Amino acid sequence: MEMINGVTVAVVLFGIGLLGLIIRRDLVIKLLALGLVDSSVTLALVSLDARQDALTPIWQGAGLAYVDPLPHALVLAAIVINFALLALALVFVMLLVERYHTTDSHRIAHEIGRETEE
Amino acid sequence: MSIALLPLFHFLFGVASLIWKKGGKRLFYLALVIDSAIIASLAQHLLHQTSISIVLGGWGRDIGIELVADRVTLAFSILAVLLGFAVVTYLWRDHLRGYFHLLLHLLFGSVFAMLVAHDLFNIYVVMELLTLVSSLLIGYRRKPQQIWASLNYLMLAALGMGVYLFGVAIIYYHTGTINMTLLADRLVGAQGQGWLIAAAILLVAGIAIKAGIFVFSLWLPAAHATAHSAVSALLSGLVIKMGIVALLRLSLVIDMQLPLLVLGAVTGLLGALYAAYTYDLKRMLAFHTMSQVGYMLIGIGVGSELAIIGSVAYAVGHGLFKGLLFLTSGEVVRTTGSKLIPEQISLREHIPRATRVALTIGTLAIMGAPPLAGFCAKCLIAEESAALLLQVLLGVISLGTVVSFAKLLPFFVYHRAPVGPRPITISFSILGMAIVGFLPLSFSFVPRSQWMAELNPYQAAEGMAIIAIGIITYRLIRKHPPALSQHIFRLEEAILVILAALIGLFALHVAF
Repeated sequence: MEMINGVTVAVVLFGIGLLGLIIRRDLVIKLLALGLVDSSVTLALVSLDARQDALTPIWQGAGLAYVDPLPHALVLAAIVINFALLALALVFVMLLVERYHTTDSHRIAHEIGRETEE
Repeated sequence: MSIALLPLFHFLFGVASLIWKKGGKRLFYLALVIDSAIIASLAQHLLHQTSISIVLGGWGRDIGIELVADRVTLAFSILAVLLGFAVVTYLWRDHLRGYFHLLLHLLFGSVFAMLVAHDLFNIYVVMELLTLVSSLLIGYRRKPQQIWASLNYLMLAALGMGVYLFGVAIIYYHTGTINMTLLADRLVGAQGQGWLIAAAILLVAGIAIKAGIFVFSLWLPAAHATAHSAVSALLSGLVIKMGIVALLRLSLVIDMQLPLLVLGAVTGLLGALYAAYTYDLKRMLAFHTMSQVGYMLIGIGVGSELAIIGSVAYAVGHGLFKGLLFLTSGEVVRTTGSKLIPEQISLREHIPRATRVALTIGTLAIMGAPPLAGFCAKCLIAEESAALLLQVLLGVISLGTVVSFAKLLPFFVYHRAPVGPRPITISFSILGMAIVGFLPLSFSFVPRSQWMAELNPYQAAEGMAIIAIGIITYRLIRKHPPALSQHIFRLEEAILVILAALIGLFALHVAF
């Protein structure tokens, strides 16, 4: 098995996304990192049964070798869900930016902490 | 076909309540009545068989989507309907925008979908749906704190579900199926192998982020404390429980005893510790939810049939009384104008009578006072956990509950109190009656003979003793708060803590 395949790339991408979520303070970049995490998981699912000698699971005739179509179906659902999550998160970020004029998570958290104490 | 209808028609009603905006509340009542009818027919079926199963679209199990309804489904559906009636009555006087009812319908639809889900990917989809709906509900009033809590929740939950899906990928790679029934067959020889342990930890950690487990669900205190009280009641009573249901279903197929017991202990102790020294009423209730999840996890982790029934019963009971407590907390905050318990107590003569009675019932039930909901279920779990360590642990968690709720005791001194608004009184009495009458209610999902064998006067005495010791302990320790970190609840730190906990779980497995 080659070292560079779908699964290892997915794990590396997951790590990069996680790192981005932790160390970047900009909320938009955090969401990009979150998108990377989600995509890495879909990549892992798709590449589970990827083979050179089999066709994509679209009907091209009987007797041919196809890869397993189930992960592809799962991935379609996962992509749509992640799209919805990111879109909603961006709306929340937009509402926060309207009020605090910054996308810096530390400053927003600080401002909100101060407002709650008052 | 009825079990597929349960989630489906809620989604239809949601759309209908967008079109007929003025009738949102009436449509919701109607939906709950239809739910009750379907649940009654389900209960009828379950008298003769342990579960009902259908595969949608007439496919086989291997590629079709299978839905299964069993006693767990029944128990949580009853909880959902009761909470639904209480919450929508509680909101009777509020002016709500049309889409609030849409969200309520979507929430109930996805809860029922979760209860009948029988494959790993369905659980994933429904969990994500619950994330979306509950984050919209948390941010419904659009206060900045709510939006921020909601955004944190959304990001952590998305991360958690990513971790979960990695676990699903590993399992699918090795077994070629995600259907629980087929998995149970194919995993028979595989328990204890490295890949399965790794997958189990990923699945548990992913769901733990959503299920209100301490060190994983650090978004929870802010989210449940800032949301509208009716929303908090639903989140804490129902949405958190769906994570528990997912863990329960998984634990029947995959061996995950060690992570469940460890997480149960950690969340039970830390949740109670934070709850004991938090004086913001709703935040205290939120922390306390995390502590009670520990009870349910230990029940599931012990894994015997009775212990699991005990967990389910406790989860349902907890949904009832924590829902009631969150609803009353909204009334307490509204009538006294303060979030902090000491200030509320000094203004307690403004709190209406029904609210105070409801608060009393909720607190007594959560402390485990004998005939109420909390006591019955705690007995089952405690009876089944034979190991001394577990016994001590459960005792300490109960004690922590009493200690953290002892600061509410001054509410119960009798005063002449004003009469509260009628819908709210009705809402409280629905949940209050369910808590007092929990034992007969639970006969629908717990075999009667088992209750009768487990409940005895010694346990009642034990329950009362724990309450007494807890109140004394509270008196002794309240003056000396330990330095509890509040930093871990920030987004970045929360992710770091989750990562550390995940690595910790792996290390634990390597060590044992």
